[in-house]
Amino acid sequence: MPRERSGGPRPPRRRGMGRRKVCRFCADKTMMIDYKDSRTLGTFLSERGKIIPARITGTCAGHQRRLTIAVKQARTVALLPYTTVYP
Amino acid sequence: MADRRYETLVLIHPEQGEPGSKELATRIRTLIEEQGGNVSQVQEWGVRDLAYLVAKQRRAFYVLFEYRTTPKALQEIERNLTLMDPVLRFISVRQAENAPPAALRPVRRPERDEAEVEEESGEDVDLMGNGEMT
Repeated sequence: MPRERSGGPRPPRRRGMGRRKVCRFCADKTMMIDYKDSRTLGTFLSERGKIIPARITGTCAGHQRRLTIAVKQARTVALLPYTTVYP
Repeated sequence: MADRRYETLVLIHPEQGEPGSKELATRIRTLIEEQGGNVSQVQEWGVRDLAYLVAKQRRAFYVLFEYRTTPKALQEIERNLTLMDPVLRFISVRQAENAPPAALRPVRRPERDEAEVEEESGEDVDLMGNGEMT
């Protein structure tokens, strides 16, 4: 006998068996977003120097916004590349 | 007018050399102080490789200034920086009042970074080879 679905929130369904991604800046409170820290920022860039979307890195919206600003500031002072294809 | 906490990162032309760059750094410091700025820290990062060419240069001498001043004075400081020919580029960023002072960073050796990149790409090639063998 099929059970009728009662109201209430549907249980979260996850595609695949991937691990839930957590924002690295929320997980480690001591980690700062700083445009001068090209090493940390570089981990959020693709091979081509593009900013990796939050949906891939798992960064939360607030931190992703600040990260984007920091990357762009770092680019103006040549700490990070705009592109690696044609420098 | 309330003064605010700022930091300015300046890129100096490598032709200036170490002594010329340091001299220019002190000149910029006095410029900030003349405009009523209160300099709390000056950090010389030394000559670093640029991520891309700026004014046909591959590297530049980086100096970081931390100070307090008014927005009006900052405008004047930035105007003066644009007039200095050896200054390739600069960026001024307002800092939060409770932010810790910028930590001193060691000058990165560019050769080591290149070696790391090579290592990584080497691993990828190995993995590909193993996959084909089995």
